[in-house]
Amino acid sequence: MFRKLLIAIITATTISGCISGDEFDNSYNGNFEALWKVVDEHYCFFEIAGKEYGLNWDNVYHKYKSATDTCENEAELFATLGDMLKELRDGHVNLVSMYGTSYYWNWQLDYPINFSDSIQRNYLGNDFKLTNGIKYTTLTDSIGYAYYESFSNGLNINNLSMMLYGLKECKGLIIDIRNNGGGMITTAEKLASAFTDEKIHCGYMQHKTGPGHNDFSEPEKIYLEPSEGAIWLRPVVVLTNRGVYSAANHFVMLMRELPNVLVVGDKTGGGSGLPMSYTLPNGWVVRMSACPTLDKQGNSTEFGIEPDLKIDITSDDWNNGRDTMIETAKKIILEYYEKKEEQQE
Amino acid sequence: MKRTFTIIALLSLLIPAMTKAQYAISDTIRTERIVVKSAQFGISLQNNLDTYLSNYNYKGVGIHFNHENFRDARTGNYRWKYQVLFNSRIGYNLQESNMQLAGIIGCSWSGYHPFRIGKRVQLLAGAQIQLEGGALYNPSNSNNPVSAKLRTALAASGMAIYHFPVFKDEWTARYQLDIPIIGVMFAPEFGQSYYEISLGHTKGIVSCAYPINSPSWRHMLSLDIPLHIKQRSTTLRLSYIADLYQSSINHIRCHMYHHAFTFGFVKTIFKIKRENNLKAYSPY
Repeated sequence: MFRKLLIAIITATTISGCISGDEFDNSYNGNFEALWKVVDEHYCFFEIAGKEYGLNWDNVYHKYKSATDTCENEAELFATLGDMLKELRDGHVNLVSMYGTSYYWNWQLDYPINFSDSIQRNYLGNDFKLTNGIKYTTLTDSIGYAYYESFSNGLNINNLSMMLYGLKECKGLIIDIRNNGGGMITTAEKLASAFTDEKIHCGYMQHKTGPGHNDFSEPEKIYLEPSEGAIWLRPVVVLTNRGVYSAANHFVMLMRELPNVLVVGDKTGGGSGLPMSYTLPNGWVVRMSACPTLDKQGNSTEFGIEPDLKIDITSDDWNNGRDTMIETAKKIILEYYEKKEEQQE
Repeated sequence: MKRTFTIIALLSLLIPAMTKAQYAISDTIRTERIVVKSAQFGISLQNNLDTYLSNYNYKGVGIHFNHENFRDARTGNYRWKYQVLFNSRIGYNLQESNMQLAGIIGCSWSGYHPFRIGKRVQLLAGAQIQLEGGALYNPSNSNNPVSAKLRTALAASGMAIYHFPVFKDEWTARYQLDIPIIGVMFAPEFGQSYYEISLGHTKGIVSCAYPINSPSWRHMLSLDIPLHIKQRSTTLRLSYIADLYQSSINHIRCHMYHHAFTFGFVKTIFKIKRENNLKAYSPY
């Protein structure tokens, strides 16, 4: 019995053999093949990109295979591989090397900017407060205004509570996240959790279960829990433009499920895939969307979230130093109270 | 009267003598069990692959520490031997310019039945419970910087011990092989982020491991060399440990090849059991 068991173990371990990684060599072609394969196996938006603009990753292989063959130095290889990744039209896809970082920016640059920090100064004034990267002040008509330009750092609940306490006399709050390119999802969730007093189902998250383009897990629900600090339940208007990306896009996805929140401005830039990183034989690092997030209706928000009220900054307002979006947000909050008064009467 | 006195006098001399003789018969101390403890420290060569982090090998060096407690069993008429082996290692590895830090801590509990072959060779066969945890950390990665390792397994374990004379001393060579047979391990799915796991999406993160999907071995070769320094004796142990862990679960391929060269000292403790009623004769 013992002898049979020993033979079985040795046989099993011998058959299984060594478990090794990819076998691509550190040549131009080897790195091209390695990059194409790792994206092929891990990138999570092939199907959506195929429907959106007809992406075919196999065609991309043939197109850039021949381009790689003509590369004469590493800088050219980096440019070629960077161009190949741009075919994915995803701001979360980068190639990092000593030659720099490749980016795809068109998710933002192809659209109206809809934000001016010069115009914003007319609203923030000189005595705005700053906490955890949030600039905030009280505008005319007792409306709070908070500008959060990046979720790259953590958010302290106490600081957030003190900010909301400082705006306690305001009728409503404008949260301006225009040009917020994202950062930490946990920061976005922490901020959103200050605007609900109950646990709310806001979307779904998936991950890849295998290397196939459609190997995904069942969507798991994402909930927004109420904050442990101060909670704001008065009207909130979230201002967005195409510069709202990644974790900021996630913030919009969460906020628009809240009953007292309205999203105003331009469509967001998207970027709903949680990016993960892998390496190539030459040590270059490729980052790509790997885990898709879906909204409450099960739709992808990779290519942006439409606002509840679509509005751009008009040319006249731009020239006159007025922010059409902020003015619209103020109007919405004031109209909310007018309607409320009418209902009470 | 004189006769009575004589008998009493003789008895008074004989009884203590007889009692003493009786005690002398039972005045045997025997070794209850032998405990061999060793602590070893050394350097290691590492070769790690974890396709959750990267599809390529990270190679480097590390430091290794292990502690072994090897003893006769208290039960089973001393026919069994137990081993408790603690292992820990940290490593600094590179793939081109990309860095990886590795840290693993493990412990195993083994029970063996010895088979003596001749005077010099002893074979031991038994079972082992392994528990191991740690992490590989790739700081250049974005949302997948860490691959956590946590596993437990039931392993088959065998040992061969050979005592051989060198000059006037007896050296001991030992080879140990551990092969995990069945176990469970933490294994996230192919593209599952730890952020998602932190949200409570934990379905399928524990997998069964067996030699087909996790063919792993641990070899340990050691040489015990007696040293005599200024009338004091000690034992130096030189070891080579090859911990070859592999898994291919949820399309994530992983190997952690670890070759450690260690040295340390062995302390042998003879645990002695005295028979009852000897306290009166104890010098202490």
